[in-house]
Amino acid sequence: MSVKEILGRFHEIAADPKAMKDKYLSEGREIVLVNYYTPEEIVHSMGAVPMGAWGADVKINEAKKYFPTFICSIVQSAVELGMKGEYAGAKAFIIPSLCDSLKVMGQNWKVAVPSIKFIPMTYPQNRKPEYGAQFTKAGYERVISELEELGLPRFSDEKLKASLSVYEEHNRVMNEVSELMASHPEISNQERSDVFKSAFFMLKEEHTALVKELINALKEQKPGTDKLKIMTSGIICDAPDILKILDENGLQIVCDDVCTETRQYRASYKEKATALDSLVSKFCDMDQDTLLYDADKTRIDYIVEKAKKTGAKGVLLLLTKFCDPEEFDAPMIRKACEKAGLSVNIIEIDRQMVNYEQARTSIETFRDLLNG
Amino acid sequence: MYTFGIDIGSTTSKCVVLKDGTEIVSSSLFVGGIGTKSPFLAREEALKKAGITDKDISGTAATGYGRNRTEDADFNVSELSCHALGAHFIFPRVRTIIDIGGQDAKVISLSGDGKMRDFLMNDKCAAGTGRFLDVMAAILQVPVNEMEGMAQKAQKISQISSTCTVFAESEVISQLANGVEMPDLIAGICDSVAGRVASLAKRITIVPEVCMSGGVARNGGVRLAMERYLGTEIRFSEQAQLFGAIGAALYAFQKS
Repeated sequence: MSVKEILGRFHEIAADPKAMKDKYLSEGREIVLVNYYTPEEIVHSMGAVPMGAWGADVKINEAKKYFPTFICSIVQSAVELGMKGEYAGAKAFIIPSLCDSLKVMGQNWKVAVPSIKFIPMTYPQNRKPEYGAQFTKAGYERVISELEELGLPRFSDEKLKASLSVYEEHNRVMNEVSELMASHPEISNQERSDVFKSAFFMLKEEHTALVKELINALKEQKPGTDKLKIMTSGIICDAPDILKILDENGLQIVCDDVCTETRQYRASYKEKATALDSLVSKFCDMDQDTLLYDADKTRIDYIVEKAKKTGAKGVLLLLTKFCDPEEFDAPMIRKACEKAGLSVNIIEIDRQMVNYEQARTSIETFRDLLNG
Repeated sequence: MYTFGIDIGSTTSKCVVLKDGTEIVSSSLFVGGIGTKSPFLAREEALKKAGITDKDISGTAATGYGRNRTEDADFNVSELSCHALGAHFIFPRVRTIIDIGGQDAKVISLSGDGKMRDFLMNDKCAAGTGRFLDVMAAILQVPVNEMEGMAQKAQKISQISSTCTVFAESEVISQLANGVEMPDLIAGICDSVAGRVASLAKRITIVPEVCMSGGVARNGGVRLAMERYLGTEIRFSEQAQLFGAIGAALYAFQKS
């Protein structure tokens, strides 16, 4: 397949996750919903398909009866989709405790969508000390036990080891394709987003195979004309309108600090006595993330260094509305970037945006600023 | 060489004819923005005042929220870039611009040579915008352009504690019911707009000279309150509402 054809396939998958869910269900596979740093390797090793549930750009009506007005629209829209039957057929939803909104989401899911079992994954605040690792492991063991109770095949450390290999390879190709796409300005920001987003709706071995095809095809393709390089940061960056405005203004995302993009692929597994301990080590080693306790705020330096290294001239901070952890970091990111000579543009986004004119004005001005 | 700048905002349409990038030959302002006849009427009037026709124009730049729907513009430019150009044209030493328009507020920081070095826009909220003043003027049944004069008569500025336009509306009604004097209330409303935008401005280092642009700049009550909040003099020009259109005409000159 050509680069365009492969990117077209990624787009089909990213734009219609329900079709992928129905495909796997028709093949007799079990589906388990996952989102922020859920131990999806466990799900994979037990023969089910872990499928991302990060909400979508939909009008939120039904879910509002379970949430206060001022709360993250990612969790609200995920519950809305659940209530409207978009996830029908899924066996369970593993919801982590990484932020206040997610904690609320788990409780509400239990009542709002009783047909899909809520499995909590309680993470420790302090994940670095040994007791943090033990706490994480206990959480994973609870997830395993709840999945077994649901009728999934019994957990085996040997099978988890095999799944970790699949995920490790996926991590590797995602980092490779991310770097490669940065050197191909002809790839639109929407197409780049599709490559990352589709990973949530496919078995990782299948996604890895498609990404490898893209890598090989891209290596044969002459890079297009240079554009203005920027870095993105935030929880999500998949709104087609935002991506289109970036494309229209000649801005190319060359690297990111986005939770649903490369943040997923930064850490790898350490060699440990068991595969489950290796999986624990991956979570405990994760850093530079809004949702993970980080007293030294290493995320700030990471953004500056990454932007500098990739030649990004500015940082676009996509601030998810009502996301306190992201909002706390924003002034520090702005200051650090300014000090490093990087321009910063902050745009507030959510899953219910219908008017992008203010964002367009902001992005156009950002482009003018970067052009000097 | 004549260039033309048109700024189609949410509530007004403004036009400027510029000669050789240095002289403002004519200008016009019509109430009514996107989706009204005002952009057309403003254009006609500016050309008529300048004594020229479309054929004499070497380049046209459109700015404001209606910029992308202006078919006869050669360039579409964001209003922040235009306000930066326009403000620097009027006040060559300006380093910080506070623009309060009909539906949003923006703060622009310029370098010594007039180049934009940073900017901020408000959240998607009517508080701290011209819309807030419009809503309050409607409740009080006072024309917006008379608010400044009434605010100057205030004996004790009333406190509008809510930053939300909807909640502030009921707060103002409660204060009216409690017998708060109209001038005190209007001064409180101006103070509320200034306080909201000043907090946005403080996220950027405020470097003097500071000027205000946009329709709300014409309200002296807001300007004075802003000076109090920022602790610095705010420069004002009668052409403050035209800065976007002036900047657009300058942009067209630079590109033509």
